[in-house]
Amino acid sequence: MTVFGFILKNALRNTRRALLTISSVAVSSALLVSLMTLERELTVPPEAEGASLRIIARNKVSLMQPLPAKQLSAIQRIPGIVTVTPFTYFGGLYENEEFTSFAQFAVDPVPFQSIIVDGPVIDGSYEAWVKNRTGCLVGADTMKRYNLKVGDQMRFRGTFYPCDLDLKIEAVYQGTVDDRNIFFHHKLLDELTGDPGTVGTWYLRAESVEVADRVIQQVNDTFANTSAEVRAESERAFQMGFVSMWGNVSNLIRGVNLVVVFTLVLVAVSTMSMAVRERFRELAVLKALGFQRRDLFGFILAEGFGLSVIGGAVGIGGAWAFWTFSDIQQMTNGFLIVFEVTPRIVGMAAAVASVLGVVSSIGPAISVGRMSVVEGLKTLD
Amino acid sequence: MRGGTTGIEWLVLVGLVAAGVGAVWGLATLAGLPIQYNVRNVLVRWRSSLTTILGIGAVVAVFVVLQAVARGIEASSGNTGDDRNVLVVRRGSQAESGSLVTREHFKTLSYMEEIARNEAGQPLISAEVIMIVSVPRVDGTGEANTLLRGLTARGMELRPQVSLVEGRWFEPGKREIVVAQRLAKRFQGFELGGTVKAGLTRLKVVGHFDAGGSAFDSEAWMDSDECRAIFERDQYSSILLRPRDTNAMTVLTNRIDTDKRLALRAEGEVQYYKGQTVTAAPIKIIAGLLGVAMSIGAVFAAMNTMYASVASRTREVGTLRVIGYSRKSVVVCFLIEGACLAALGGIFGCALARLTDGFSTGTLDFQSFAETVFQFQVTPMLMAKGLLFAVVIGVVGSLLPALRAARIPVISALKSV
Repeated sequence: MTVFGFILKNALRNTRRALLTISSVAVSSALLVSLMTLERELTVPPEAEGASLRIIARNKVSLMQPLPAKQLSAIQRIPGIVTVTPFTYFGGLYENEEFTSFAQFAVDPVPFQSIIVDGPVIDGSYEAWVKNRTGCLVGADTMKRYNLKVGDQMRFRGTFYPCDLDLKIEAVYQGTVDDRNIFFHHKLLDELTGDPGTVGTWYLRAESVEVADRVIQQVNDTFANTSAEVRAESERAFQMGFVSMWGNVSNLIRGVNLVVVFTLVLVAVSTMSMAVRERFRELAVLKALGFQRRDLFGFILAEGFGLSVIGGAVGIGGAWAFWTFSDIQQMTNGFLIVFEVTPRIVGMAAAVASVLGVVSSIGPAISVGRMSVVEGLKTLD
Repeated sequence: MRGGTTGIEWLVLVGLVAAGVGAVWGLATLAGLPIQYNVRNVLVRWRSSLTTILGIGAVVAVFVVLQAVARGIEASSGNTGDDRNVLVVRRGSQAESGSLVTREHFKTLSYMEEIARNEAGQPLISAEVIMIVSVPRVDGTGEANTLLRGLTARGMELRPQVSLVEGRWFEPGKREIVVAQRLAKRFQGFELGGTVKAGLTRLKVVGHFDAGGSAFDSEAWMDSDECRAIFERDQYSSILLRPRDTNAMTVLTNRIDTDKRLALRAEGEVQYYKGQTVTAAPIKIIAGLLGVAMSIGAVFAAMNTMYASVASRTREVGTLRVIGYSRKSVVVCFLIEGACLAALGGIFGCALARLTDGFSTGTLDFQSFAETVFQFQVTPMLMAKGLLFAVVIGVVGSLLPALRAARIPVISALKSV
């Protein structure tokens, strides 16, 4: 019998226990992977290609405070800006929904075309949307989710604005980080509210990464000490600002992760100590036959390590397969979009599982190393 | 209010625990087993017992703490408002912060005769503005949105649960604000004498108030019209008023709701805040999912321990059977042991979770997009739930091992070493 065969036989001697240990390690590591992915989803917004070029300018008071539309010409005069469009969150409810997970934004379609560069139109035509003031540009995910086609009407009830929208789908885009949002003419919103003088935010595109910082600074300076001071930042920074409001949630998830790891350790340690306790006598025989301490330690370590790594592989692989091949957007009603299990998360969970195998073997191995042969042979259990 | 309910809840908890112990005792007596046998068994194998207890304890602690978070968020909005008050917002808006009410609306409503009056004869109605202001956090992790409410003296009369704890109330026309004490701890410039920049003006903090754990604990207050002036807003956000009596309340609510010209929605203040608990819902779902997933791991751990316990006691089980104990008694015996083990874990977990009771923190409210402050609420009811959860884990985990113990043939059991 080879050493490997010996270890394998030992590990599978109590098949039920081996299976129980593997499955509890598997469940816990699947949980660990899912939680880490959730934390990543909530705290690290997906990175878009043009994100460092795009700049969002909001009212310094808060995002909810509107900006005067007359700022447009002052912004256009700033050198280094390719394009600028008003960008106003409508916050409507789709048809009869109580909660709508995708956003509607009012924009100026012409300059907007050079902002939404990473989302080319895949159906309908952008020009048709530009021409139709009551038309809209819809993300592919939303089209799919509600089973819509170009030419359909979409109705929204306003919650922030005292007006409703009735829009015709003119074009469909795909390829941005969030293909759920829909866009419509800012002029339509102005008409409906009877107020052409305000916009929500400004959406800008800088010529190059090099000038972006200067443009941001200049936008801020232009409106300093006016009645509507502006806070401009890169799209990325803007998203991170949103994320920072989640701060405590991510701490909570991290706390739960710690507890999951802790229970994992307990399960593994108790399994290994049980396995070793059962075979105290055999191990004493092995010692009597002349096996060294480090040989015995090797046997135990290999078994504990093997069990936790198999459990880890099943759990991590299962979680990866589940989150990769299931439609997370459908499941969470559009609350979570990407939910990508990254290699880094897989690596971290795998590291936890391996460390677990080592940690669980140390205690039992020490007690085996310490025991005298006579004492071990006397043991009954 | 809270003291009374928790008193009862504590009684319920003690009652449940007593009932549990009684049930175990009764079962043990029925099975004819001395309960000390099981308790001693747990203690003899203390190392593996301890790991199981710690494991189950950790799972229960997470379960209870997450529920306490959801409860805390619910409580902060569920705890708000006065039964006698009616809140009026624009029809179609989901929250005060997204609502618009014009000055004409306010005028129309002020003259409605169903509105109660104070001693000075003024109608108890307050037109209010909700602003969201971005303020830097104390811990330097960037800015977060906070709610700034502009209200009148009537508005303060309508909210008796809010009391001043430090400094003084704001004076209209002086650009002063009063901040909730709990909110003040989380943001820069909200300390007494501090200033907050809003547009071109600086608002001075002249006092701190305490709102008794209600939603107002996440707000800063200032004068209503001054707030409109500073932020250049023509319209109010909402109107809070108090009808003369319950009868007048029904009449008034109906009248506002059905008047097409107003396009407003009237709702009891308490009901309104009860409806603002969207934020707690996902946390509850996560708590449930985590509870299930983690309990699977815990059940496996308990099973492992109990199988080992059964295996090493094969001879004892054989002896019990020879003396005359039935298979059923043996099953009950091991179930009780598993349940006791898990209950100890549950107690440990609840004790751990209880340490977080009253911990005050903030999170993003999905409806107002501002930070709401809430406190972890580890109530006796939640702890009872946690204990029950632990016992279920224990019983499920020891069921298979117990059945196995019962099936061991007597002769071979006695022969085993």
